[in-house]
Amino acid sequence: MILRRRRSHAFERDGDRTAIRLGDDERSMLANLAEQFREVVADDADPDLRRLYPTAYPDDPERDADYSGLVHDDLVRTRVAAADTVVATARAVSLDSDQLTAWMQVLNGLRLLLGTRLDISEEDEFDPEAEDAPTRALLSWLGFLLEEAVVAASADFDDA
Amino acid sequence: MSPAPSPLEVDEPDLDHDEIVDTDRPWIVLVWNDPINLMSYVSHVFQKLFGYSKAKADKLMMDVHEKGRAAVSNGARESAEMDVFRLHEHGLWATMQQDD
Repeated sequence: MILRRRRSHAFERDGDRTAIRLGDDERSMLANLAEQFREVVADDADPDLRRLYPTAYPDDPERDADYSGLVHDDLVRTRVAAADTVVATARAVSLDSDQLTAWMQVLNGLRLLLGTRLDISEEDEFDPEAEDAPTRALLSWLGFLLEEAVVAASADFDDA
Repeated sequence: MSPAPSPLEVDEPDLDHDEIVDTDRPWIVLVWNDPINLMSYVSHVFQKLFGYSKAKADKLMMDVHEKGRAAVSNGARESAEMDVFRLHEHGLWATMQQDD
């Protein structure tokens, strides 16, 4: 896992809703990424999706196949629906609680997909000259947004 | 090498008996460390799914981070499987196994 510092507010809590404080470029970028995520998830063929569908029973392949058969399509549907929500609300003024959850699921799902693709580890240092630097920068930006979304969503908990 | 029969050669218990034994022992749900998930997000998911306090969720999250894994819930197989599913829905690396 990665510890990130809290910075300025990409999201701002306003009662039950969460205001989005992103510029037009960031909103376009996010909508575009959510559309790509939706496509890859719905297509369900990219091996780099594996981190989104973990093994439930590592010691029991038979039960794991049963589990996977039971939940896989539900997980795909949930993620496609969440991506649709992000695309539909990328230029919105604010989000309700369910929409904010969808944003967090897509931000985290994109990070799992890109992180798997990059084969990252906790010890990795950012090298701006590296070939995969743009993707790593993207991963970092998604992490920043997710961190901010978590801060906004935590207002729902009593002791936050 | 010992001539004692290996467990593979022992007659398989019948399924009914197997199921009874299964339900007797509780299942634990484990969450594993990974290099991608954010610490704050993992703690947030624990609070949201299990209603844990921030202090308890942070403690479990730090266990995952430092020890590589933590047991986040336990119970009958059906409820443990539901917990695993909800953790998977939120992108966490969760597995389940029977308590020894």
